Amino acid sequence: MLARQRLFWLSKPYDLPGSDARFLRAVRDNCAYHLDHCPEYRALARGLGFDLSQLETIGDLKRLPMLPTLFFKRHALSSMPKWRMAMYVTSSGTSGSFSQVGFDWGCILAEVPMILKLGFLHGLVSPVPANYAVLGYRPNKNNRTGVTRTMYGLTWFAPPLRRAYALHYRDGAYVPDLDGTAKALERFARSPFPTRIIAFPSYLWFGLRRMEELGLSVKLRPDSKIILAGGWKQHYAQEVEKPRLYALAERVLGIGEENIHELFGAVEHPIFYNTCKCHHFHVPAYARVLIRDVNTLEPLPMGQAGLVNLISPLMNATPTLSVATDDLGVLEPGEKCPCGCKAPYLTILGRVGLRDITTCAAGAAELLGEGEGL
Amino acid sequence: MIFAEGALRPDSQLPALLDSLEDKLTDTLAGPPLEAETVISALARLGERLDRGELDGLIAQYAPAGAREWLDEVRWMLRPELLRQKLAIELGDASPARPFGRAERCPLGVLLHVAPGNMEGLPAFTALEGLLTGNINLLKLPRGDRGLTFAVLSLLVETEPALTPFLYAFDVPSGDRDTLKKLAALADGVVTWGGDGAVSAMRELAGPGCKLIEWGHRLGFAYLSGWEGRTGELEALAEHIVTTNGLLCSSCQVIYLDTEDFGEGKRFCNGFLPILERASAVRNAAPGAAAQATLYAYETFLEHIADRDGLDEVMFRGTGCSLTLRRDRALELSPLYGNALVKCLPRSQIIPVLRRARGRLQTVGLLCPPERREELVRLLSRAGVTRITPAGQMSASFPGEGHDGEYPLRRYCRVVDLAL
Repeated sequence: MLARQRLFWLSKPYDLPGSDARFLRAVRDNCAYHLDHCPEYRALARGLGFDLSQLETIGDLKRLPMLPTLFFKRHALSSMPKWRMAMYVTSSGTSGSFSQVGFDWGCILAEVPMILKLGFLHGLVSPVPANYAVLGYRPNKNNRTGVTRTMYGLTWFAPPLRRAYALHYRDGAYVPDLDGTAKALERFARSPFPTRIIAFPSYLWFGLRRMEELGLSVKLRPDSKIILAGGWKQHYAQEVEKPRLYALAERVLGIGEENIHELFGAVEHPIFYNTCKCHHFHVPAYARVLIRDVNTLEPLPMGQAGLVNLISPLMNATPTLSVATDDLGVLEPGEKCPCGCKAPYLTILGRVGLRDITTCAAGAAELLGEGEGL
Repeated sequence: MIFAEGALRPDSQLPALLDSLEDKLTDTLAGPPLEAETVISALARLGERLDRGELDGLIAQYAPAGAREWLDEVRWMLRPELLRQKLAIELGDASPARPFGRAERCPLGVLLHVAPGNMEGLPAFTALEGLLTGNINLLKLPRGDRGLTFAVLSLLVETEPALTPFLYAFDVPSGDRDTLKKLAALADGVVTWGGDGAVSAMRELAGPGCKLIEWGHRLGFAYLSGWEGRTGELEALAEHIVTTNGLLCSSCQVIYLDTEDFGEGKRFCNGFLPILERASAVRNAAPGAAAQATLYAYETFLEHIADRDGLDEVMFRGTGCSLTLRRDRALELSPLYGNALVKCLPRSQIIPVLRRARGRLQTVGLLCPPERREELVRLLSRAGVTRITPAGQMSASFPGEGHDGEYPLRRYCRVVDLAL
């Protein structure tokens, strides 16, 4: 049990080789827990020919039973009764189906040091109060999506003065109010305190374009920030528009590229991935990422594109130890990024099913404009 | 967005439009009727523009990948002579000789279409059927329609302005019962496409006097009797399975084998799996498509382990596809995306087994020696299927065919008896 806390409380969040031993121990504990407590997981492990004795080195992570996100959408898996869970969260499913994932208290306890450590390291935590504009959902008791909670949680990284939301809950449905948010930003610009915009990338893009159309531009205080969070779907679509988005943010809000942070994670893999100053998602020590061949599912060497498999021993309540996402991506060695972080970094290239992804070259991102979002 | 009076409008105008819609509709109904020839010639002109490549930009902007090849496949449907043929076949002779009086066929009046989202172009197609019969069409668009339908409607009224008062489209969610109820209250008929949920919901929303026309979800299957040596036809079936991904009502969900012998089922799967794999590899050559196929096949395998434990089924795993040989005989949805079900169903059991799925049956792809064809066709049609095609052509349309056992145009009309 403590192996997990030892991993999440370690002091160097991007030291992967240094954390391998702790990671493996936590994985073994976590896997044993799910094998004991989740009958479906046990059945899957048996069917896949897996048992714990196969986990000897960090290279054996590929043998873990890997569950696609689709499996979580179709099966409400859990390794503990609901009353023992801290919370129950759903993904923001795009096609009417969504994953349901329970969080245990030990998982919350492990997330706190991870988020704080990475929050400090990436300059997100600040004692200076801030005004918040959230281009996302206003929390509501009927909304259990992880992204709503994440965005709300992010408004505590600097003490919140006030929050303006772009999506309001009215009569059982969310209605957007980008114009209202634009007005709030004008008010925030006159405040002596910095502003933080927490946004789905696509909403930020639409909101900024709308402001530009209306001829609105504000000069937010220099220490203001934009924090982009939300589904990965928006993320890779945004790859295409990134430089344009940065230029637009500078023009309309006066926020420079260096103050734009991006985050990602998934309900089934709530690890706090942050971009470095070169906008790369380095893999933190709390997770390992494997890229798998699109035909055989065998792990691929660094630099080759394939299906993204995320591994983390974070959760006891739900067997999300090894998750196959719907995304295609590529892992590059940390040394290739000029930021100095040695951990490998993950680039999401697109979602499975897109027939246009033909190469793993950076140019593939151009094709993804036909995906979703922008 | 809303499409009304030939233009796109923001959702904020919906309440005002709903308030004034009844007046607009009655004005149109009181005006000159819409002649089928007007619609036919508009479609012909649109088809010519399509052929000249003038619409390629629009297609690239609104339609998803693959729409172009799909359009080429259905292009023939816009040909004037085929549309006239469709009208003639479906509506027949409007006023046959009668001993007393005569009959005229009139449009129902106003149709509310709850359009489907499982295939691009279908929302526009259902509206076209309404137009051909002279109806005013209110379209409720499916979620995920990325503007394609709006673009088609705009093109139509641009080509033929006379169509303007006959076309409205609303991008409202299915959950917006108030709006749907108001629209249904204005309609003479509600055309519902979709699953049981959509059909039941619209039955509740439409008033008792409103005619219900339902194109519910249907299931297709293949029936194989004496398949040895018919590799070409099996290859066509494999191609059908990986091309439609099982998503259409006409797609093959279950491959039925005319045998009692489970062992023969295994031999069939062993032989057919490589054929399916080859078709999948061709269809899913791009990494994005291959990844999707692999992920679905893996998911199917995991569900086979987790959900079907103890059922003594055999799964045959291929690259990007799979076959699962099941013991039972029921017609059911397959795991989709190149993962088909195989079941044994001897001829003598066709009627008792398939009767249980009555009202759900659509296409059967038949693969058999010619001498057995007549008997099987008779059995299958008695069991309740509405289309019988070669195994590889289950989802191909052919001119003059009905829809789920009916002629839709006939349902969009009423007969007015004149005893004058």
